[in-house]
Amino acid sequence: MDTQVSNPIVIMLINMTIVFAVLFVLSLYIRLIHAIDPTVKPSPAAPKADTPKVDAPKVLPPKAAAPSVQEGISGETVAAIAAALASVGVGFSRVKAIRVAHRPGWTCAVRSEGLTSSKKNK
Amino acid sequence: MDILSAFVTSIQSVWLDSGFASFTVGNFIMILVGMVLLYMAIVKEFEPLLLAPIAFGCIMANFPRTGFLEDPGVMQLIHYGIQFEIFPPLIFLGVGAMTDFGPLLANPNTLFLGAAAQFGVFISLAGAMLLGFTAQEAAAIGIIGGADGPTAIYMASKMAPNLLGAIAVAAYSYMSLVPLIQPPIMKLMTSKEERAVKMDQLRSVTKFERVVFPISAAIIISLLLPPVAALISMLMLGNLFRESGVTDRLSDTSQNALCNIVTIFLATGTGMTMNAESFLTVQTIEIILLGLLAFAGGTAAGLLLGKVMCRLSGGKINPLIGSAGVSAVPMAARVSQMVGQKANPSNFLLMHAMGPNVAGVIGTAVAAGTMMAMLAK
Repeated sequence: MDTQVSNPIVIMLINMTIVFAVLFVLSLYIRLIHAIDPTVKPSPAAPKADTPKVDAPKVLPPKAAAPSVQEGISGETVAAIAAALASVGVGFSRVKAIRVAHRPGWTCAVRSEGLTSSKKNK
Repeated sequence: MDILSAFVTSIQSVWLDSGFASFTVGNFIMILVGMVLLYMAIVKEFEPLLLAPIAFGCIMANFPRTGFLEDPGVMQLIHYGIQFEIFPPLIFLGVGAMTDFGPLLANPNTLFLGAAAQFGVFISLAGAMLLGFTAQEAAAIGIIGGADGPTAIYMASKMAPNLLGAIAVAAYSYMSLVPLIQPPIMKLMTSKEERAVKMDQLRSVTKFERVVFPISAAIIISLLLPPVAALISMLMLGNLFRESGVTDRLSDTSQNALCNIVTIFLATGTGMTMNAESFLTVQTIEIILLGLLAFAGGTAAGLLLGKVMCRLSGGKINPLIGSAGVSAVPMAARVSQMVGQKANPSNFLLMHAMGPNVAGVIGTAVAAGTMMAMLAK
């Protein structure tokens, strides 16, 4: 029996269906790979069901509290930060907390800025 | 007198052996076409890495009496590389090594945009059949809409070798004209609000996913569609070189030296199919027009599904990424980025558009595979 299809519309419909089906299978497969990925760190455990429900603390209107400064940061450092913010025009904001950030990115940015400035100065 | 007669006879035989004696108006027109293509490649910088060797190949194909395709030599070797589908899979190896499947893995829904953009391929196929092309020829013409040069050449070599030159030129020309063809369609089919939609940042993709995907995708698609196993397997092998982290030298060779060498051969060989006898026909004009229809249809279908996904997601998907479903990597994704940024200067769609863009490469190969399985003699 000759099974060759000659109607262009039928060929179009059959082929479109196959393309969508194959790519649908592939999309499911990508999701499966993601689901079984053993290298993904498990997300923090959800709270147990029998844990007593604690009411969320009521949101209070903000008070003009003094900035919370981490222990070990001197008053001069706080003043320098406040002056730096004021000098770049951040006058409309309020400093709420100052703490040491353990992010090497800042250190790198400072080094990079230093190198750029020294190059410019040459 | 004898000396003069011998001299005239010699000159006459040199003339008769020269290309000038057999030079036709058709050859002249095709050399002019080659020069126009060279102008577009060098001055206008439309895909110069492809268009320049194609154009020069076109000029060479119209030198009469060269025996390029009859006598053993480098030209015949290049011709065999195209005739026996050797170059397209090698190009796919390089494409795989250059492609980041991360955006696709992070958002697998974009595969549907790659599938929708194949609509242009099948519109063009139907149009070609209505114009009187055979089903095999129509399939090879339709694949121009995939905007994937190597797949178009692969398909044309298998299904319609007589139309290879016209199909390859149409495919590569439209690929280079993506920044001109797509934006008007994108603006016509989307509102300014839709174009301005900002998308959430994609999740990070682990190395496990990046390594497992090419291996398993090669197995699944090659088992489903054996006719395109060579293309898909090489694409995925190249990507595995890139992602495994232990084959840097192979990845580097695939995406640079090897890819460049094969591009020279493939593009020059493609140009050399453009001789006057086979190119200067009404069919060529029909193929070029059908290619434009395929390309516009694919872009429109991708945008349409993008709009549907935008509605279904509550406005979280920018429909412009749908137009990147036509393969043309990464040009189509860049166009999505460019048009999106015009509507909203803080919009960065490039990585989001790369998902449907690489999905389009897979989609075009799948479309080619289904048509070969269904229509090959």
